[in-house]
Formats: sequence, structure tokens, C-alpha cells
Amino acid sequence: MSAAEIRFKLVDDAAVIYPGPYLNQLRGESIENQCERFLAEGVRRIVINFEETELINSIGISILLGVIESVNHSQGSLILSNLNSSNRELFEMLGLMSHVEIVESEQIALMKMSGEMVTAVL
Amino acid sequence: MSESNSKQILSQLTDENFGGRDREIAKISAIASYGPSQPAMTDILLLGAPRTGKTEILRKSFDRLFWEGKEVLPFYYSLQESCLDPVEFARDYFSQFLIQFASFRRNDPSLIKSAAPSLSIMNGASAAGDYVCVRSMVDAFSQALRVDDVQALLRLALAAPATAAAHAGLKPLVMVDNWHLVLGTELLPAFLRDLKRTRQHRLVTYALTGVRRLLTQLLPADPEIFDRTEVIHIERLSDESLEKLVRNRAELLGIETTDSTIELIIQQLNRDAFYIRAILNAAASRGLSLRTFIEFERLYTDEILNGRIGQYFETVLRGITDDSSERRALLEALALTIEAGQPVPLDAVTDRVKRQTNRGEELLARLHSAELVDISYGFISASDDSVFDDFVQTKYRREIVGSAQPLAGEELLGEKLKQSYRLMMSRYNRATELQLVELLSRFDSQSVPASLFNTVSFESHYRGVSRANVRRALDEEAERVRVAQIVLVHDLGEGEQPGVTWRLFAATGFEGGIYTESNEVCWLVALINSKEPLDLETLGRIDQRLESALRGQIANVGVRSHTVRWYISKEGFSAVASERLASQHSYCSTYSHLDLIQDYLTRLVLGGETKPSSEFELVIPIEEEAELIAARTAEQIARAAEFDQESVNQIKTALIEACINAAEHSDSPDKKIRQHFAIDDDKLIITVSNKGKRFGGANGSNPPVGAQPSKGARGRGLQIIRALMDEVEFEHTDDGVRLVMTKYLKRPGNQ
Repeated sequence: MSAAEIRFKLVDDAAVIYPGPYLNQLRGESIENQCERFLAEGVRRIVINFEETELINSIGISILLGVIESVNHSQGSLILSNLNSSNRELFEMLGLMSHVEIVESEQIALMKMSGEMVTAVL
Repeated sequence: MSESNSKQILSQLTDENFGGRDREIAKISAIASYGPSQPAMTDILLLGAPRTGKTEILRKSFDRLFWEGKEVLPFYYSLQESCLDPVEFARDYFSQFLIQFASFRRNDPSLIKSAAPSLSIMNGASAAGDYVCVRSMVDAFSQALRVDDVQALLRLALAAPATAAAHAGLKPLVMVDNWHLVLGTELLPAFLRDLKRTRQHRLVTYALTGVRRLLTQLLPADPEIFDRTEVIHIERLSDESLEKLVRNRAELLGIETTDSTIELIIQQLNRDAFYIRAILNAAASRGLSLRTFIEFERLYTDEILNGRIGQYFETVLRGITDDSSERRALLEALALTIEAGQPVPLDAVTDRVKRQTNRGEELLARLHSAELVDISYGFISASDDSVFDDFVQTKYRREIVGSAQPLAGEELLGEKLKQSYRLMMSRYNRATELQLVELLSRFDSQSVPASLFNTVSFESHYRGVSRANVRRALDEEAERVRVAQIVLVHDLGEGEQPGVTWRLFAATGFEGGIYTESNEVCWLVALINSKEPLDLETLGRIDQRLESALRGQIANVGVRSHTVRWYISKEGFSAVASERLASQHSYCSTYSHLDLIQDYLTRLVLGGETKPSSEFELVIPIEEEAELIAARTAEQIARAAEFDQESVNQIKTALIEACINAAEHSDSPDKKIRQHFAIDDDKLIITVSNKGKRFGGANGSNPPVGAQPSKGARGRGLQIIRALMDEVEFEHTDDGVRLVMTKYLKRPGNQ
């Protein structure tokens, strides 16, 4: 099965991934592959922006947990942003909040990451 | 804020913004359409409290009949204080009619919207076929003007609709707004003459409205008039219509709200659509959201003090009197009656007003007419308009008492915040009280499962059993309670202490369907909203109140041979309280038992299972993303069943998980998943079935409720379904398994 196309962009040395309207197995696997590529290329800061994501299923969440683990394992940082209230409730219910940081917007996520970068350089 | 669409000619609000008055508008049109042979009403009196939309109902009736362009010729006229001189009135009424007549005949509303033209121009505006008729009416009117014949002018003006309609073969509907203004003028006898004349010959249907307390004084005690007048009472909009109005309006204006603030807005604004629109418009023009109580209360306080609502009340008071010292005297009188909280002798208040003006009685009577106070049998009391009360009290404190102004914030804000929680609680309590009264009224000697009247027995039988299974088991229950046939329910008052509120009722009726004194019975019912299971001490206190209420009942109504006590506590009873209730042979239930009793009685009437009101079916293939189709369908159905957005999202997510589960864990030979959606009164039941061996739990078993899900995606799927739906059950079928998920509509008191 070929992975679904997902959008992403690079901002300085961070990557932003947009899972699309429905995070399921297909898109989860695409995110997983894309993250692996980023990490291999040395991109350590990743934001997943859920602005367009209306629905998330449990398989998508399981894959996302794997992505969180592999980014942490590579000493990278991952922030989720723009979750709607239902999806946030889902993440809370499944205990994702303790594994990953969730912020209101992509901009805040990127600022937090650049802040981390400044701290690291100093 | 005004808005309009192309269909609005005289009306000032869009249908959506007005909301819920279709029935009244349709009734006016229907009465106006009656043929002469129908033994029907000929005139309409529209009575309603201030701001219930009487004017807009007439204006919308005009618009609707105008665009229908059929047999009814609509004419709307609003009397003005500045135009009560008979000649001025006749000229204005006559010309307004001719404009509206010409517009109707030419199907061109632009004439109405343009400035009032002179009589000669109106001649030219008439449709070609009407020219001769209009010309002769205008000539006769001009002649009466020249000779200054006031009576002829009034007669010609009032007769114009009948004359023109007769020429055009139409039925005229004459809608007169602010009709109370004719009181004490020469216009009243002229109108009454025309009413009598047109009534005799069924020439015109009049629809009259205005200040209701004055309107009823205008009609003479003539049986014929009352026989032939249909009184339409305009009640306040229902909570459902208001909720729809708030949601639509807030969405249109981009104001964020929540279910709780919408409820608070409706209740605190006295279920008054005018206030609600004013608050929403204020929020929109200031770019405010109404997501929290404090956001709403801040805006409310500002609106009362300096905003649209405050300005409106100022205008109303100026309408009572232009004189500022008289207004001050009235403000004192109003504050006094509100402060008293009960009817006050009218003389005491009149004397107080007379210290500043010799028109005390007259001004108080005007306040009564405007429904700002109620005067009855020598007593005066405050109106039930809490918004006006807030305005009066704040203005009184500021302008008369001269209280020190706080440096920041407002006293009213603090008061309203304290009240808001209590208001919402009383709203929820009221909903349950209404449910109980409705239930008692349905008691008709039925035999009801006994466990529904005994919390201990219910717990021992049905603890941990799903609601659907409880319903089934109740049907089989051997022990029964035969309820009385209730004919009367009395409110015995309410009480409260920290954390507990209660209301007492006496439901009287007969046992065994035999109507004798010895079979008369009184059910004393205590409805208790407690955050915890009811303790013995509070039960004792409620018992005392019930005793004294019973003594009062006996004194009023006479001795009852038999009483039954029924305690209904939201969260049940403590063990000791339950023992006490058992020892005194009282019935005890919880709020959820009320639902079950109601449900049981309904099923008895229907002779078995209640049929869901709507059902839908969907079959999707087991393939990638097909579950999205199911989710979209569920979304449409849940919206139609009036679930809120949060619940809709939860239903969609749960259904997606159910479909994935079905796809993954079944050996479905036809590669299909079947879904059945049933909307019942208060719930949506979704059944997801598939053919195959297993579904969800191992070996197709129903995973025990509360069991920890296995690690991994599917464990999470079941966890999600259970968390998002109210009831989840797995059922075996001959050739597969099905998952039944139920989501209840959120209801006050059940949250």
C-alpha cells in the first residue's frame, strides 16, 4: 500500500508537517516515514500542525506515539500544534499529553523551538 | 443593528432573527382569508406583553400577504402620538392606504418605501384598472377636506380599504398597531363605528394590537364584538425557539458562546427576545465573546448601565413622563416596590410619589399600563421583569441614594455573578420539577416495577447493569407498586440548605379507580437535588417541612384518609436514611428512576417497546477510509437529532473506531459493515454489525465494562468508544456480532 501524500515545509532548521483532514494508518505511516527522513537529514526539530485535521483514529494515534518515541530517541524535539478541542480531548484521554508538548499554534511551536536553539547555543 | 432581505417590506427582522412566530402569522392570514359563508371570526385582537413581537407579527403578516398577492389585500397602519388630530390622522391613514394599495396592485414595494406622496401623485401611481376607483375616492376625500368635514374625512379614510377591496374583488385585512392611542380621542368612536359597520357586512378583517392593558379597556361590553373577535395571545418564545435564535444570531454575528452561557443568557434576560438581540448586537459591535459567565455578566452590566437596554428603559420612562422630577419620583416608587419583594399598599406608594408631583395616580397607572408594575385591588407590586428591576435598582442607587461609585467594576456585576450559578441551578431544578409534575399527571392506576420506588432494592438488582438491560428486566419484575390515579398536583413550596435544595408536592387522586372519600389518597412527594446521597439529618428536616405542609393541606382541603410519601433524591440516600425510609414504608427513588418510570409508562401506553422516531441504515465496504462515509452520515443524523457539536464529534470518532474494529477483527465474508442509526426522544443508538467470528473482545465476548484495554491500537479503540459514548454493548447474532452504542442528548439536570 502506498503511503498517502502529506504536506510539509522547512522553516530555518525546523520542519512542519501537516497530516491533512484525517489522521489514520495511511497518513500516520506517511508522517512516520517523513520524520525518519528528516531525522536522517539532521532535522531535529519537528512540528506537527493539526489545523486541517478534523478526525484522528486510534491507529493514527499509535503511529504518532511511535514517531514521538523515535524523535525523542534521536535527541530531537517534537511539538504538536493547532489541535481542535475534540482531538485534544482524545489525546488527553489516551495520555499523550505526558509524552509530547502541545501548543496553540504553529508559530508558538516554532518560537519555542528557536528558544531552545538559542539556549543550546549559549 | 438592522438587516434585511429582499422579501422584507415592512418587517424589520429576518425570519431567522425573529424566530418562532409562524403559527401566529399563519393564523392571521387564515382568518383574513375566511369566506363570507364561513361562520368564523371577523376581527383579531393581538394581545401580548411588551416586546413579545406584536408589531413585527403584523409587519411580517403584511409582507407575507403582499408577496402572496392573492385574495387578501393587506394594509398596515401604526398610530402615532403626533398624529391623533382627526384631520391629520384621516389624511395620513387615507394616503398610507392608497400607497399600500397601489404597491400591492402593481406588485411593487418600492412605492411603500419611498416618501409619502401627495394625493394627486397617488392618483397617478394607481394601477390602470384602479384609476377610476381611486380617483373617485381621492375626489370625495378632497371635497371633505375643502369643506373641513371632520366626520366625513374619518369615515372616508376608514372606509377606504373596504371600498378599494370591493372594487378589486379582494378581502381586506386592516392591521392597526398602537391602537391603544385612540383612547380618549375622537378616533375611538370613529373606529368603533367602522368596526360595527364592516362586521355587519363582513367587509373588512381588522387586526388590532397595542398596549394590552389599555386595549382591553377600549372595546365596549358588546357581546357581538366579543363573539366575533379572535384573541391571539402572544406568549414569550419557547426556550427551544430562543436557543435556536441565540445560536443562529451568535453564529451570524461571529460571537463565541457555550451551551452554559446560552442557557444563562436566555434565563437571565427573562426569555425576552428583544433583550437577547440587544445583548448579542452589543457583543458583536464590541467584538466580545460570550464563552464564560463573567464575559456575559460584564456585558449585561454595561448594557443595563450605559448600553442599548439602559437607553431603551430611559426612553420607556420618558414615554411615561417628560418631566425629570416626575421620573425621579417614579424611580423611587419602582425601587420601593422592587425592594419590598411583595405587593405594597398602593396608597403608601402614591403618597410618596405625590410628594414630588400631583399626578401620582396617573403616573402609576401609566406604569401599570406599560407593565412596569402590577396594580391590583389596592396593591402595587414589581413586574416580573428582572432586567428592568436591575436597571431600576442600579439607577436608583446611583442617582437617588448617591452610593459611592467603586473605583473599578460595578456592584451589579458581583450581584449577577452570584445569582448566575443559582439561576442556572434553579433552571435545571425546574426542568426536573416539570418532568415530575408531568409524570404524576400520568399516574393512572398503573402497576409499576417496585424497584423503581425503592433505591436499595434497585441497587441490589441492577447495580452495574446497562440501562438497556435494566429496561428489559423491569418488564419481568414480579413485585409491583400500583400507583394512584392522580387528578390534582399542588406545589407545597421549596427549601434549601448548603448543597441541597428541595421542592415538595402533593398529588391527590384515587386508588383502585373508585371515587369515594375512603379511596382518596394524597402522594406527598419531595424532589431533592443534593450533591451527595441524602443524609439522615437533612431527611429529618425535609420530613418536618412535609409534615407542616401536609397540615396546611389538610386545613385547606380537608382530611385525607390515606397518604403515601415518595422521596426522590438526585444522588440517592445514605444507608441510614434508606433504613429510616424503609421503616416508615416510604417510597424512595433517584432522578434516573424518574426517567425509567416515565419510560415504563410510555411503553405501557404503546403496548411494548417504544419505537424510535427515525431510523436510518448504511452499508459500507471494508476498505480504506470507508469509515469516513459512516462518520459523515452519523454527523448529519446527530445534527438532525440536535446533538451539540462536541457530542457530534464524539459520535463520529466513536463510530470510526467501531468501523475499524469491525473491519479488523471480523472474518466478514461479504466485506461489508452494516450500520443502523435510530433516533429516539433523547438518544441516538448506533448499531454496527458485521458477519464474522469475532468483534472487539477476545472470542467475541463482551469485554467487561471498566476492564483495562490491552496495549496497542485496538485496545485504544475500545477505550475511545467507551469514553465517548454513554452506553456500549456487544451482542452476538446468528452470523456475527454487533456493537450497540448509545449517546444521550444532554439534558438539564442530567449533566
